[in-house]
Amino acid sequence: MNLLGISAHYHDSAAAVVIDGLPVCAVQEERLTRHKGDATFPLSAIDWCLEHAGLEPDALDAVVFYERPMLKFDRILTCTLRAFPYSWRTFPKAMKNTLGEKVWMRGIISSQLGVPGPKVLFTEHHQSHAAATFLTAPTNHAAILTADGVGEWATLSVGRGEHANGHTKINLLREIRFPHSLGMLYSTFTAYLGFKVNEGEYRVMGLASYGRASMTDKVRKLIRRTPDGAFSLNLDYFEYHTTSRRSYSKRFIDLFGPPRNPYAPIDLKTADGARFADCAASIQQVLGDTLVEMTRTLHQETALPDLCLGGGVALNGVANARILAESGFERVFVPPAPGDAGCALGAALYADRIYFCNPHRDLPDHPFWGPSVDGSDLARLAREDGHQVDQLDDGLLIDQIADDLAAGRIVGWMDGALEFGPRALGHRSILAAPHTIETRDQLNREIKFREEFRPFAPVVPFEAADKYFQLTQGAMRLSRFMSGVFPVRPEWRSRLQAVTHIDGTARLQSLERAMAPRLYSLLEAYGRRTGIPVLLNTSFNLAGEPIVNRVAEGYSTFLRSGIDVLVAGQTRVTKRAAEQRKEDACLRSVAKSGAG
Amino acid sequence: MRSGRLYARASLFDRLMKPIHRWIWADVERRVQKLLRFSETEIDGGRDILRAAELTSDPLLRRLYLEHAIDEFRHGLMFRQRADSVMRALTSRRRPTLQVDLSARGGHGLDDLRIDKESDGSLLAFLHLSEKAAASRFTIYRDLMQRDPPTQAIFAEILNDERFHMSYTLTHLVRVAPERHRRQLWRARLSRLWKGYMRLATGVAGAIGTLVLMIQYFVVLPPFAWLAKRAARRESPGWFPISSERNGSPRRQF
Repeated sequence: MNLLGISAHYHDSAAAVVIDGLPVCAVQEERLTRHKGDATFPLSAIDWCLEHAGLEPDALDAVVFYERPMLKFDRILTCTLRAFPYSWRTFPKAMKNTLGEKVWMRGIISSQLGVPGPKVLFTEHHQSHAAATFLTAPTNHAAILTADGVGEWATLSVGRGEHANGHTKINLLREIRFPHSLGMLYSTFTAYLGFKVNEGEYRVMGLASYGRASMTDKVRKLIRRTPDGAFSLNLDYFEYHTTSRRSYSKRFIDLFGPPRNPYAPIDLKTADGARFADCAASIQQVLGDTLVEMTRTLHQETALPDLCLGGGVALNGVANARILAESGFERVFVPPAPGDAGCALGAALYADRIYFCNPHRDLPDHPFWGPSVDGSDLARLAREDGHQVDQLDDGLLIDQIADDLAAGRIVGWMDGALEFGPRALGHRSILAAPHTIETRDQLNREIKFREEFRPFAPVVPFEAADKYFQLTQGAMRLSRFMSGVFPVRPEWRSRLQAVTHIDGTARLQSLERAMAPRLYSLLEAYGRRTGIPVLLNTSFNLAGEPIVNRVAEGYSTFLRSGIDVLVAGQTRVTKRAAEQRKEDACLRSVAKSGAG
Repeated sequence: MRSGRLYARASLFDRLMKPIHRWIWADVERRVQKLLRFSETEIDGGRDILRAAELTSDPLLRRLYLEHAIDEFRHGLMFRQRADSVMRALTSRRRPTLQVDLSARGGHGLDDLRIDKESDGSLLAFLHLSEKAAASRFTIYRDLMQRDPPTQAIFAEILNDERFHMSYTLTHLVRVAPERHRRQLWRARLSRLWKGYMRLATGVAGAIGTLVLMIQYFVVLPPFAWLAKRAARRESPGWFPISSERNGSPRRQF
């Protein structure tokens, strides 16, 4: 059975193909169109997926869209009516936006792909999230919690999943509905702190470590627990449910003070900078508390050892680690793409297991479902531009790159198929030695062009992780896809400065050899040279750009940034001296312009 | 390489529009918004040109596109930094409200140009005309910024880069399409004209649509709004149970 899953039209659209119950490929539209968070109908992703799977559209048994468009329209219209007459600006915009394209998904899919209308199926948004996390996790019974900004109506849902006698059940039992939303609460603080909604949530999490959770009482005025164990937001403090112009109200500003100017740098030494950090710490604390309490109840109710988390909120590694430590669940599964992009795969898997009642099959436990790189392309490009190119056997190449890293060089690493999801997990990564604070600052200033408070993540062989990091039971699983934040052991913090956050934690990736064998070998080789088999691993992209996909994109990123060495397949490229000088001048001018 | 033979000169249209531009730039809040919009446009344009660098098979063009893209990113940062400085100088009362757009992002970069669908020739022609138009407009802006020397200096610096961009795009258009470069330029002109018309038509249609929907909002919706509010009052916050029948049919869109 050939199924195509699609997610689109909110943020981060994607496509995935499932054949006979197994994923064959999945890719986010942004990785192909090169527009970060591309939310348009994912034609490029669909084209690539079908081509990669060797399918024509008429060979598809079904195309599954990740949410129910009319139900979503119902929510948008109802909320507009409820906000009458304050929604007068929003109403025309929302109607044009929704009626212009978004509600006609069956027709759009049918006409774009040439498949008959009855072949187009729909799942609910949170079902897609639930399927994306439960059906990709190596477990047979698990509690499920999905939380995001909003789907159709649901913003958070809980339930359980089960594989028994070859059949799969996903029962979502209850849900919390818009406008009461943990995702929107966090996003409101993201906007208030001057970061882009749906992109800047990581920054809030990074900033939180620099602050004290001194405003939790204020945050708790915004969110109240209901007697049945759910929560509700005090809507007087918000505007996202009445307008798309601003998510917080004047009352919110009265409570927390003036919002941050998005274009001004955050200076933590100033009173305002400290206030923003405290604000971030407080919302992070309250989010964690709420999720822990809800998952603790879910654990008591289900008495299951495993929890599958889905939805954009599951990208919050600090909260995930707290859930693991405090909720009572022994293992917490977060897929590599828990957000909306992952719903493309979730929707296809849901249709396969639930609608078509196909027997469950264990899925490959990795995130590498995208296009592959070819090292010979890199060699051609680099030679045309006169850069030094080495094409080496794998063993030699790994040794050479380990030498580069040990010598303090920063390496752009492209290997095999692209990751599906927001994190670089070893196939499109920037790697560096993790030992000094200078490396972190250099990466932030000259390569990622981002704030100094943003931390970097370490990657460590699975077997060595416990030596360097304080890992609770179940942490290995959570760190497989970099989904949890854990303390660095105190005795190693001084030697892992670049990946140790201000609060002594790190969002580590513990790597099994089978998942990324070449990166694993590189870690071993680096460990032999330095005594510490840990590397700094950050996504291979510059600020505001999607993670690189093809060699050409990695190459242009290499030329525009302070990356010293670029690797794709078995090709290693270093910059010619003149280019390095030019790039240094470019970096100086960017720094002068205030990019850092 | 930077001494291009072309020089920037304001077009007749831009010269005629000078009083309007003066009025726009005279207000500090509008100036900030303009600078921020320019910043986004330059950065988006830079991304498109970067994409062209990644896709072209011509090594020389690849290097030039890359340099061009880096210039655009730098311009974007200069505009943003200047907007920030102007904004800081404003009192908090007058500080422009920077809105967060929660809706999905739409158009990108150079007039929604599909870089992957363009040949080097057509892209160079398009870039040449875009740079020329920008240089014409920026010449006016530079002249209008007599009372704001830092912004004037930014326009002057960017104009210098635009001259180089105009020059290299024309030179290489002639190189890659020696027989057809004039035709390419005319096609690009017509394409810009068509896109301009489409923008105008879409804008007018959008305005009419907004008006019609707004009338409906105030005339048709009030009773439904009353019903919706009444229903909302009856709704208690907390958990909503999910019935097992709710997701019975995969074909339902609601």
